[in-house]
Amino acid sequence: MRDGEAAGTLGREALAYADALYNLARYLTGNDTDAEDLVQETYSRALRAAGQFTPGTNLKAWLLRILRNTFISQYRRRRHDPTVGGLDTVAPEVPPTSDIGWRRDEVELDRLRKVVAEELERALMTLTDDARTAILLDLEGLSEAEAALVMGCAVGTIKSRLSRARASLRVILKTWRG
Amino acid sequence: MDCLDVRDQLLDFQHGRLAPEVVGNVQRHLDGCGDCALADLTERELTHALERRTPQYSAPLALKRRLAAAWPAPAAPRPRGRWPRVLHYAAVAAAALLLALPFTYELLSRKDAGAVLMVSEAVNDHVRMLQSQRPLEIESGGIHQVIPWFSGKLDFAPGIRFAGDTEFPLRGGAVGYFVDRKAAALAFGEPSHAISLFVFKADGLPWPTRGLEDGTYRTVARGFDVLLWHDGELGYALVGAPDAALMRLAAKLRHPA
Repeated sequence: MRDGEAAGTLGREALAYADALYNLARYLTGNDTDAEDLVQETYSRALRAAGQFTPGTNLKAWLLRILRNTFISQYRRRRHDPTVGGLDTVAPEVPPTSDIGWRRDEVELDRLRKVVAEELERALMTLTDDARTAILLDLEGLSEAEAALVMGCAVGTIKSRLSRARASLRVILKTWRG
Repeated sequence: MDCLDVRDQLLDFQHGRLAPEVVGNVQRHLDGCGDCALADLTERELTHALERRTPQYSAPLALKRRLAAAWPAPAAPRPRGRWPRVLHYAAVAAAALLLALPFTYELLSRKDAGAVLMVSEAVNDHVRMLQSQRPLEIESGGIHQVIPWFSGKLDFAPGIRFAGDTEFPLRGGAVGYFVDRKAAALAFGEPSHAISLFVFKADGLPWPTRGLEDGTYRTVARGFDVLLWHDGELGYALVGAPDAALMRLAAKLRHPA
């Protein structure tokens, strides 16, 4: 199939994922303007690479991967943010998760039941880009294999990254409300 | 199976990703271990909170429209070849004629086809500003605060020198889009008589060529007064209610005292 035909066939279906892409872009960039630019650039790149998409595979995961790669190549560098790009799940000011991630109690459970949207968003934004992405891809309903494709890593890495990201999130929420 | 094994597999357990025999083992452990049962509950509660209460951001309609415009339309399916070729061509010609008639009529009946797109875009952008709960990214502290705010956000400097006055106070601005490009969106007038000014790079747009008055195209669309003009590299679209005296504001913008 020629690139033009591939793009045409893909176009309508790809646009159905605009909200999912924008949501991830918004959480990665932290503002509306950059999120719009990131999504637009993602679709522009996807359009140019439409011939490389394998029909029958997950288009949403393919687009999310392009978005993440675009973010890394264009936005991370621009931000010069020391908390991104590493393997840690949280920014340095957040307490380590080692013990707290293991321990649970009724108080924490009660706090989680009362956590509000604003706190969740603030907590997510405290995580590193990779940790935040792992959680958001899970919320999008991607399988571990699909999330691994998006993040360019092994399935096992996704599993541990998601687990650590969730533990960090709990620690952050517990710290704020404790 | 000990606590460590169970904690490692809790998320897979909750997502239904474990083999049936492993599920049974995990469940038996949870039934007999209070700490792990609490950990299970906590993870479920976190999932519940994330799924139900994490703010979700939807792509703005303007962005979706730009994306749709950028992707080529899917190619029409090819004829199956059951009809004789002559009949096929005749059918295509008839269909083309039928399809073209309304558009031809539209084009002929409009004063300027290019203006339709520009006017429609200006009105849409104005309506979005009216409907938005937070249309302004910079609340006005005066022209000397608003215009510099755009620095670094646009690849041009909005050539606005009119600072606003009692009739048309400058309320603030935001970065927006006009057709396929970024624009400075400025809000003038009281909220009850809101006027939007969009400033953008003028090149490549289908500017009206007929019906101009002193270089300005004026029309009414969907109940709004719309003025379009360009000056050098920049284009301007001014939109407001018909009683908003747009011509007076346009004169002040083009020729500030």
